[in-house]
Amino acid sequence: MLIPHPLLGLRDAQEFTYLGDASLIHRPDGMAENAAETFFDYVYLRDNPAGVHRELWFHEQGDRSWLVVTRDTTTHEILGAELARDVALAAKGGAQ
Amino acid sequence: MSRLSGGLIDRSQRLSFTFDGKSYSGHPGDTLASALLANDVRLMGRSFKYHRPRGVVSSGSEEPNALVELRSGARQEPNTRATMAELYDGLIANSQNRVGSLAFDLLAVNDLASPFFAAGFYYKTFMWPKAFWEKLYEPMIRKAAGLGSLTKLADPDDYDKGFLHCDLLVIGGGAAGLAAALTAARAGARVILADEDFRLGGRLMAETHTLNDAPAGDWIAALEAEFDALPNLRVMRRTTVFGAFDHGIYGAVERVSDHLATPGKAVRQTLWRITAKRIVLAAGATERHIPFANNDRPGVMLSGAMRTYANRYAVSPANRVAIFTNGDDGHRTALDLMAKGVEIAGVIDTRTEAKALGKYPLFAGAVVSNAKGRLGLKSLEITRDGTSHWIEAGALGVSGGWNPNVHLASHHRGRPVWDEASLAFLPGTDLPPGMVVAGAAAGRGTTHGALTSGAEAAVAALGAIGITAALPDLPRAEDAPQAQSAFWHVPGKARAWVDFQNDVTVKDVKLARQENMVPVEHLKRWTTLGMATDQGKTANVTALAVMAELTGKTIPQTGTTIFRPPYTGVSLAVLGGGDTGAHFRPRRLTPTHEWAKSQGAVFVEVGQWMRAQYFPRKGETTWRETVDREVLATRAGVGLCDVTTLGKVDVQGADAGEFLNRIYANAMASLKVGMVRYGLMLREDGHAYDDGTCARLAEDHYVVTTTTAQAGPVYRHMEFARQCLWPELDVQLISTTDAWAQISVAGPNARMLLERIVDGFDISNEGFPFMACAELTVCNGLRARLFRISFSGELAYEIAVPARYGAALMGRMVEVGADLGATPYGTEALGVLRIEKGHAAGNELNGQTTAQMLGMGKMVSTKKDSIGAVMSRREGMVAETRTLVGLMPVDATEPVTAGSHLFDEGAAQKTETDLGWITSACYSPHLASGIGLGFLANGKDRIGQVVIAANPLQGQSVRMRVVSPHFVDPEGGRLRD
Amino acid sequence: MTDLAPMTALGGSLARAQSFGALAIAENADLALASLAQRRGAAQPVPMGLALPGPGLWHAGNGMAAFWTGPGQWMIEAPGRAAEDFAGAVKQAAPECSVTEQTDAFVAFEIASSAGAAPILSLLAKLVNIDAAGFGPGSATRTGLEHMSVFVIRRAEDRLAVIGMRSAAGSIWHALESAAARLQGE
Repeated sequence: MLIPHPLLGLRDAQEFTYLGDASLIHRPDGMAENAAETFFDYVYLRDNPAGVHRELWFHEQGDRSWLVVTRDTTTHEILGAELARDVALAAKGGAQ
Repeated sequence: MSRLSGGLIDRSQRLSFTFDGKSYSGHPGDTLASALLANDVRLMGRSFKYHRPRGVVSSGSEEPNALVELRSGARQEPNTRATMAELYDGLIANSQNRVGSLAFDLLAVNDLASPFFAAGFYYKTFMWPKAFWEKLYEPMIRKAAGLGSLTKLADPDDYDKGFLHCDLLVIGGGAAGLAAALTAARAGARVILADEDFRLGGRLMAETHTLNDAPAGDWIAALEAEFDALPNLRVMRRTTVFGAFDHGIYGAVERVSDHLATPGKAVRQTLWRITAKRIVLAAGATERHIPFANNDRPGVMLSGAMRTYANRYAVSPANRVAIFTNGDDGHRTALDLMAKGVEIAGVIDTRTEAKALGKYPLFAGAVVSNAKGRLGLKSLEITRDGTSHWIEAGALGVSGGWNPNVHLASHHRGRPVWDEASLAFLPGTDLPPGMVVAGAAAGRGTTHGALTSGAEAAVAALGAIGITAALPDLPRAEDAPQAQSAFWHVPGKARAWVDFQNDVTVKDVKLARQENMVPVEHLKRWTTLGMATDQGKTANVTALAVMAELTGKTIPQTGTTIFRPPYTGVSLAVLGGGDTGAHFRPRRLTPTHEWAKSQGAVFVEVGQWMRAQYFPRKGETTWRETVDREVLATRAGVGLCDVTTLGKVDVQGADAGEFLNRIYANAMASLKVGMVRYGLMLREDGHAYDDGTCARLAEDHYVVTTTTAQAGPVYRHMEFARQCLWPELDVQLISTTDAWAQISVAGPNARMLLERIVDGFDISNEGFPFMACAELTVCNGLRARLFRISFSGELAYEIAVPARYGAALMGRMVEVGADLGATPYGTEALGVLRIEKGHAAGNELNGQTTAQMLGMGKMVSTKKDSIGAVMSRREGMVAETRTLVGLMPVDATEPVTAGSHLFDEGAAQKTETDLGWITSACYSPHLASGIGLGFLANGKDRIGQVVIAANPLQGQSVRMRVVSPHFVDPEGGRLRD
Repeated sequence: MTDLAPMTALGGSLARAQSFGALAIAENADLALASLAQRRGAAQPVPMGLALPGPGLWHAGNGMAAFWTGPGQWMIEAPGRAAEDFAGAVKQAAPECSVTEQTDAFVAFEIASSAGAAPILSLLAKLVNIDAAGFGPGSATRTGLEHMSVFVIRRAEDRLAVIGMRSAAGSIWHALESAAARLQGE
């Protein structure tokens, strides 16, 4: 597969290591009251869609950026890729 | 010699070859198959199950029968298609799958037992009596399995791989592919044209159609001259594009020197990974045959192949041939062979309305219903309106229609679509992205159709990526529609073969239907039809047409099986990419590697690293002797060990401390500048992940160490935390594992030794206490880092210098420390020392253990959030009773085996009574006994008790005393001296 | 000056060099390297007057060179200065950045062609999955080479650099040597 790296253009998937569901970016607050429940969900529960999936790829043999790649798991069509850092910052309420 | 006139062979040269020990000759341009036919050899092999005599059926890569063992010795290659083996001088080939000679195969007795080998027989036989399986049936089946045999000698050849990028990949160099490549190359696009054959032209070389009223070869030669001059076009002959992968990535194998007697300096084959923006699939079509009784006699072949042999290879399989056809195409063979002086016994056409296209006997509305001639066709039975008679012929060309080669178009699970008008499966609409199909592969099989569709496909493909291409002037060519009828097989009682290679007959298809193996994927696996090395290229469509008939369904309703790469077989050697032996994967050497080698060290693989395992001295006869000496010397004087391989990550930034607080379970932000702290990392699920040290060199500068094995994963994990979890923190990371040579200096004389190399820096116990760190210089000005940390439990340090000085530093320390007993030690002694001290390492952090089990439960801070902290407090984790203990055999002569499981004495040993396991073990020269570390249920409360260490695989059951894991210096006094 | 003798990445006292027809491969043992990473909120630095390039790029100036290695991160090269504390010098020039010594983290091989770009392009095709069409002079990227991670820099039409893990120097040399020797034989 070819991953459309937002800064470097199309790169072969062989340069990357795959992690999984991009929901891993949204780590719960470990000091909160309900941490036990929220962490159980975070560590163990996953949607496993046959279709469009947002997932984390690490450009290990490249620039070592983590990317959030939107990929259709049934056709392997890749609809887009962003720097995970940008996705994470946006989720936390804007770039810093 | 049945050699005809013309052909693309070079008669000025003779090539000698042998087949089954007999000598023959042929010409450059011949394949082994054409040369054998030219020498009147029709018997080329024995079939898989029934060992029936077989001859060549095709002239291409779809060949099911003529599989030989090519070459001898280490290069012997089984299952080589004689149709693809280019003839060279000195070629040696042998037939396979026979006991005795090809003409007198003893295993032909299988043919008599054929009712027992019907479809699915292995699901129904070899089951009783049960005891016979291991000793009789399985060995028998293994012996009978497969076709050819392997030499078991190492492959002496080199293989290579490479990467290509293009705008347009044209797969197939026949009429359509040539037109496409010409169109695209002239437009300035970057083009790759690949064909599996050693010549370009495809079926243009097999037919007698003219282009602009001249031989097709003239046009091909002109194109090749133009191609040679175009720098943007890469022509790859002998190259099979075997698979269509994601996003325009295609795999191809270039057979660089398969056609030579030996490769010489060249590689044998190259694996190419081609990334193409657009693709034109011009893979042509494969002919199908028509099953009838005994249709597998040597001499019965595809009619199109008979034409290829006559026109391209100037050979006829016999002096008198017949044709069996269900359409106009078979008549072409009669015309072409007649034109070369071959006698036509007759054309048997299934269509009652068929007309002869030349002066040969025609049997319209008739079928071939039987064939005689076990070792070579002698006669054929022709049946019409219930009446039969026999005619003599030495070969029969069978024309059942043509199947477009839709394989690569279907590699992304696309399904081809049945076209009733052309009686063929055409590529569907769900093609791999970026692919266009042209020529016979798209059902445009006339010469004009192929040329035009090829050029048009190139224009369309390039247009989609913004390159404008013009249609070239294409030569005038025939465009005759080929009438045909839907006639799939001749019904009858005797066996009629569908899949020649796996010996599957129409009867087998019927049996599958009877046994309710009806869906085509079941039909395939039940009968093994289409599962041989040819993947049923000449059989699949016929089989499903027969199944459709039997079930009363239509062909499209019956459907096709899934097409998967590779299109034709790919050698494992070329898939390996070229490097074998020591270079199979990268090797990482430490900075002191050459020095250690010069000291006679024995090395061990630790992942990709080579590490010195131990340093034998003269007179030492066993590794244990050496290791014992190294261990004793370190605790008595000072030992030196290269520990560069442990991962080092440089962590900087205003929020570096806060970041480390979040990835370590224990507190790290509170670490003072100039100090080092042990650090434990957890996985988010609460298990122990990795451990190491964290040194604070400055306010905003830390160095984190990891275990050797986890260096890569931990770095990835840290980048994940930095970029994905806490991108708002100001922290930067970079690996420095290789940058610094790091040497452990351990033992009571360690400080004295270091004082001799450190440049005027106070490393007294007060000036540089336990767990201190500093940047300083050594050996007259070389920048270095010193860490007072201990894995061995002794007074110990780790000294780091830029890697290029590592070897020199090691040598210097051995030299200046000679009187202090300076002793190099390797990974074995390193392991003994840390086990004696009770330090956890990789074996104890195997992913199944927790901080609590390691005795570090309190280290997991509750005052801050860190990765894994929350989940480490789960009920099940907290309720875990197994803790780290030391173990010593009650009888010191007994071994301690890591991996042994622990049980109470007298307990039945099973999962429910399992109390834990031994993680690490070694011989301790200090205790003169084997010792081990392990996890034991309620271990802390069982110190002094005896448990059993069970190793049932090797029949061991050893009584162990539970002791403290700190075998040596349990108070830790030496560390702080 | 220390009296400890340095060793090259390939384990010798002299840098290795070998020719394969039009291609010459030489170990660049005197190349200093320092990684420079931008900190939060800081402006992009111009260390010692060297402008730092964007993604996929390399350029030289003032006796040094720099190539982009990641968002906010660059590698600074200083030919001939491996014996110095080059990272220290860079840190002095850009004190607000995170600077890390990398000289001995890597082995650098310089590849020169005596026949223009063609041999360089042929070599690239055998080694790495980089589309040479988009990799003209001034390009730099990190990619995979025989299961290893390397930086590849197109210093000029006829010059290439391959920079990889120092510990794997032998494996990298073997890969370069094998590919170059085969091309020579073709």
